[in-house]
Amino acid sequence: MDLVRHLECFVAVAEQSHFGRAAAELGIAQPPLSQRIQRLERELGVRLFERTSRQVTITEAGTLLLAEARELLARSEAFMATARRIRDGETGLLRVALLPDLAGETVAAVLADFPRHHAGLELELHELSTAQQLARFASQDLDVGVIHHPCDVTGLELGPVLRRELGVLLPRSAAAAALDEVPLASLSGYDLILFPRSSAPTLYDDLLTTCARNGFTPAAVRHGQGASFVRGLVLSAGAVAFGPYDTQPADVRERSADAGSGVVWRPLAGAPLAWRHSVAWPKGRGDAAVGAFADAATHALRTTAGARAEAAPRPLHLRPASEYWL
Amino acid sequence: MTDTPARIRAAFAEAGVTGWLHALDIDSGAQLGAGADQLVCTASVHKLCLLVTLHQLAATGALDLAEPVECPPVGRTAGPTGLAAMLDPVRMSVRDVAYLMMAVSDNAAADLLLGRVGLDAVNHTTQRLGLGGTHAVHTFGELFATIRRDAGPGGARALTDPHVITRLRALDPARTNRSTPRDMTRLLGAVWRDEACTPEHGAAIRRILGLQVWPHRMASGFPFDDVHVAGKTGSLPTVRNEVGVVEYPDGGRYAVAVFTRTANTAATLPAADAVIGTAARIAVDALRAP
Repeated sequence: MDLVRHLECFVAVAEQSHFGRAAAELGIAQPPLSQRIQRLERELGVRLFERTSRQVTITEAGTLLLAEARELLARSEAFMATARRIRDGETGLLRVALLPDLAGETVAAVLADFPRHHAGLELELHELSTAQQLARFASQDLDVGVIHHPCDVTGLELGPVLRRELGVLLPRSAAAAALDEVPLASLSGYDLILFPRSSAPTLYDDLLTTCARNGFTPAAVRHGQGASFVRGLVLSAGAVAFGPYDTQPADVRERSADAGSGVVWRPLAGAPLAWRHSVAWPKGRGDAAVGAFADAATHALRTTAGARAEAAPRPLHLRPASEYWL
Repeated sequence: MTDTPARIRAAFAEAGVTGWLHALDIDSGAQLGAGADQLVCTASVHKLCLLVTLHQLAATGALDLAEPVECPPVGRTAGPTGLAAMLDPVRMSVRDVAYLMMAVSDNAAADLLLGRVGLDAVNHTTQRLGLGGTHAVHTFGELFATIRRDAGPGGARALTDPHVITRLRALDPARTNRSTPRDMTRLLGAVWRDEACTPEHGAAIRRILGLQVWPHRMASGFPFDDVHVAGKTGSLPTVRNEVGVVEYPDGGRYAVAVFTRTANTAATLPAADAVIGTAARIAVDALRAP
């Protein structure tokens, strides 16, 4: 019995709850599909589905086996992708990308962790923005990378999405700098320094929408990216900026009022703002090397950047123009 | 003049979407596109194919559009508008059910009508009109069922998770109802030139398409009292579409099909809706340029 093929049938019928639709999805006729399910049930000695004339429901036993069946299929896909990499002569090289705004410690942690576990695999490392990575995924010039969300995830597979919380950079003399946690609404009256919109329009809009939702609509948005430039504007121009703790220099992290520089970093109350990251790779090309890099990068983000899994999603009120309803 | 497809792509990027467009001058046949042959998920845009099917069947006498349809409250396909949102039994004619399907994208209305004619009839219609990239594989109820299954126990809230978005079969054109921008302008052109149906049925289809209530997508690009916009939207998580016809008082009429995917997984994104109008306008202005 071809176990992989039979498990594909099992998962398809479980997902569709319907033999006809599952057969259509698999591109086979219904009778051979039914035969494969029966054969699998015989081999396993387990009844996977209850069939009535009208519908198919997965049994308790089937539910218990479904997760492992999916895992086996994913492993089998990774195995085939590895075989393809070896066949294509790419065995020794993994082309990976990291974002320019990751902390040096995060980059170092990825580079330290990965080769230790994967001797013989060479990393070709690039510093690329999310947009550049998506373009290289499309032209097959990149195997895997760490990206920002939101972005167009069509044709990609993702690792877990992690939140890297943002705090605010403000003048040490500002009233809000005395607070342990700064509410976004207390920043009213300040201008905001943000990266130029064209470099990541969706991220830019998402950030401003979240600010507005939490009571901060900056009087003006000034564009700046370089750390020195941003620092200069914060010091002199009545403006604030956002950034994660892990990329701040020690003098900005310094909490006491009489030490450190003129610019101070403070967490935001309720952590409303965050960079959201995940590892991403083109669909169907997730082989063992890609998986190992995904694990290493996810681990590095958790340990060096304090990135955490998203809390429960916020309430969602679909409006009538959404046209769908669940 | 700058390259129109490049301007359209820039408008999509500016709004945070990936988009595909085809625009056609219905009378001269002049056209332009940006990814016009991309296979896309139609979502509720497929209701247009169903509407044309109903009128073709009516023209042959196989279906009576004035015949009453019983719509009991149980078993209705879910949705936020029309019959799908109503609580009590309803009885109305086939054509009025079709009106609700198009004007407010009523999912229950669409599945009632699909129950009458079947998916095969809809595919037969699009095939006969030469729309090679257009195919329906499931009813609207079945489409939402795949989303429910793929989203898992988190329900609608889970749909803002990019991880969940990557595994929705409903967003893979190979596995859901599909078409291309060029197929859709071809269909609209045939309806407006009375080639898809008899003039009487063509006029009925055009009337219904002109009664769509949504102002936020294609119509938003044409803020002119003397310009008529008729269309049908389609939406799913990260998917925003509209196909329609824009008519100017000088007789110029243009079929435009716009299909987009947003990068952001949020449900409320006014700029992503509006760019459908912006892109359509850039295309129509280019077709109208002397």
